[in-house]
Amino acid sequence: MEAYIGEYASGKSEVAVNRALQLARLGRRVNLVDLDIVEPCYTLRPIKRKLRDLGIDVLAWETRETMGLGEAGNILRPGNRWALRRPGDVILDIGYGVEGAKTLHLLEGAETDPDLKVLAVINIARPVTGSLPDIIAYVRELGRVDGLINNSHLGDETTVEFVQEGAAVVTAAARELNLPVAATTVLAGLAREIGPQDAVGNPVWPITRYMPETFW
Amino acid sequence: MADKPIEGEKRVFMTGNEVVAWAALAAKAEIMYGYPITPQNEIMHYWTRMAPKFGREFLQTEDELSAGFTTAGGVLAGRKAFTATAGPGNTLMQEPMSMAEAMRLPVVVVVQQRGGPSTATVIYSQQEVTMTTMGGNGEGLRVVYSTATHQELFDYTIKAFNTAWKYRFPTFVLGDGYQAKMRESLTIYDPEARGVTLLPAEAYLGKPGTPGVDRPPAQYRNTYNVEEELYEVLQGYFKDYEKMAPEIAEFDAFDTEDADLVVISHGVVSRAAKGAVKELRAAGYKVGYFRPITLRPLPVKELRALGGRTKQFLVAESANGQLARLLKEAAYGCPVEMLPMYKPGVGITTEEVVARVKEIAG
Repeated sequence: MEAYIGEYASGKSEVAVNRALQLARLGRRVNLVDLDIVEPCYTLRPIKRKLRDLGIDVLAWETRETMGLGEAGNILRPGNRWALRRPGDVILDIGYGVEGAKTLHLLEGAETDPDLKVLAVINIARPVTGSLPDIIAYVRELGRVDGLINNSHLGDETTVEFVQEGAAVVTAAARELNLPVAATTVLAGLAREIGPQDAVGNPVWPITRYMPETFW
Repeated sequence: MADKPIEGEKRVFMTGNEVVAWAALAAKAEIMYGYPITPQNEIMHYWTRMAPKFGREFLQTEDELSAGFTTAGGVLAGRKAFTATAGPGNTLMQEPMSMAEAMRLPVVVVVQQRGGPSTATVIYSQQEVTMTTMGGNGEGLRVVYSTATHQELFDYTIKAFNTAWKYRFPTFVLGDGYQAKMRESLTIYDPEARGVTLLPAEAYLGKPGTPGVDRPPAQYRNTYNVEEELYEVLQGYFKDYEKMAPEIAEFDAFDTEDADLVVISHGVVSRAAKGAVKELRAAGYKVGYFRPITLRPLPVKELRALGGRTKQFLVAESANGQLARLLKEAAYGCPVEMLPMYKPGVGITTEEVVARVKEIAG
C-alpha cells in the first residue's frame, strides 16, 4: 500500500500510474485510487479504461456518475473511502499539494494500517522544491511522510545529468529528514542510460508518460 | 527574509499559474488583491505562499468588484499592485477597470480565460477577448497581451507592470485555463540581471511642492459635472493612446511574404497554428503565420500591409469570432478575404488547422 503525495504538478499521478503498472506486470492484483478531490474531472478519468485494459482496478469517478465536478469537487467516492480494505496492492494518487495530502485522513484505516507507506514525490525543477532547504521545509509541511521519490525532470528537456542532480539533492534532503528514498523515477529511455540504480544508489523505476493523454 | 526571489537564471518546470506568481515577484509587485476563481486560483495560492518570504502582501477581498477597486486603490497609494481573475470575475472587474481607465491607473490584471458565465465551464476558452480588450463603459483604453507559452507568461507579466507604469493605462495579461494548468519548462530570471529596468511605482497623491505653483495639481477625477468635461479629458487620453500604440504593439509572423493564405490566431491556439503552417509549408502550400501578441492595441500597420497583399486570412480561435472582429476593424478596406475557423470554448489542434487549410485550398 503506497500513497503518493507532493507538490501540485510534481508528478504524483504519473508516478502512481507507473507504479501500479509495474506491480501489475509482476502479476499482482493492483488497485489504483484517484483521490484528487479538488480537480477530480481532470486526473485519471480519461485513461481509466486504458489502465483497466492493462489489468489494473481503477477507483475513480465516471463523469456520468457525478455533476458539477469541473472545479472544487469535494465528494469522496464511497468506494475510495474503503480502498485500503481491498484485496491486493493499493496505490493512492493524492492530488493537490499540502491541502490535498489531508485527503488521506478520510480513508478508513489510513491512521492504523501497518502496510501503508506515504511517499512524497519531489521534482527539483519546481522552485518550491528546488533546493535542499526548500525540500526539507516542504516535506515537513506535508504531515506524515514515510519516504521520498526523486521525480526530477524538465519535461521533454530532461537529461541524465538533471535526474542525477535531483537524486543527489533529494537524497541529501531524505537524510536530513531521516527518511529513505524509495526510487528515482525516470523516462524509460533515460533509465536505460542510468542503469538499475542512480548515482547515489537509489533504485531506478523507468516510467512511461501516460498523463499527457489526460486533461493535464 | 530572502533578498531576491530569483537569483540569476534558472530552468524550471511548472504550471502557468505558478509562472505568473513568480513573474510578479520578479517584477517587484508589492501586493496582490484577489478573489478565488478557477482556473486562476494557483496564482493566488503561490503568491500567498511566497509573498511573506519576500516582504510582499496579499489581500483577499469579498468579490472581484472589490478586488478590482482595491487594486486601483493600491496603485493610487503608489504600490505596484495586481490582481488575477477569470470569466465571471473578469466580468465583475470591468467596472473597476472602467474606473482605472478613466483615472489612468496602472493596474495589472492577469486573466485566465474560461468558458461561458459563472455556471459554465471552468477551464478553457478564448471567449474573454471582447471583454478584456473593450469591456467596461469606456473606450477600451487599455493594453492586452495574449500569451502562448509559459515563457511568455513570465516575460509578459513582467512587461505588463512596466507598460502600465510607463503609459498609465490598465494592462492585462490574457491567458487561459490550459496555460494556467499546463506544465511546461521555461527559464525564470531576475529581469534586472538581464538589463531590464523595472519602472518604480509612485504615489499619485502627496507629491512634494505646492500644487499649482511647483507642480500641476493632482486632480484624478472620475466625476464630471457636464458631458463636455468628460469629452475634453478623453481627447487627451485618445492622443496618448494613439501615440503609445505603435510603440507597444507586438506580433509574431513567418512565411507571410509570398503566402496566399495567412493563418491568424492568438494565445495558446497560435501554438497549433504555428505547427500547422510549418507542416503545410513543408508540403508545398503557400501559407503564412501571423499572431498578434498585443490584442489591444493591435499591430494595425502590419495587419493592413498583410491584408493588402494576401488573398485570404484564416482566423482560428476558441471563440465565435471575437479576434476576427478586432481584425476586421483593423483591416477595414483591405481586399483580403477573411475565413472563419471558430471553435468557441474548445481547443484547436495542429491537425485541425492543417485539414481546414487543405479544405480551403481544394
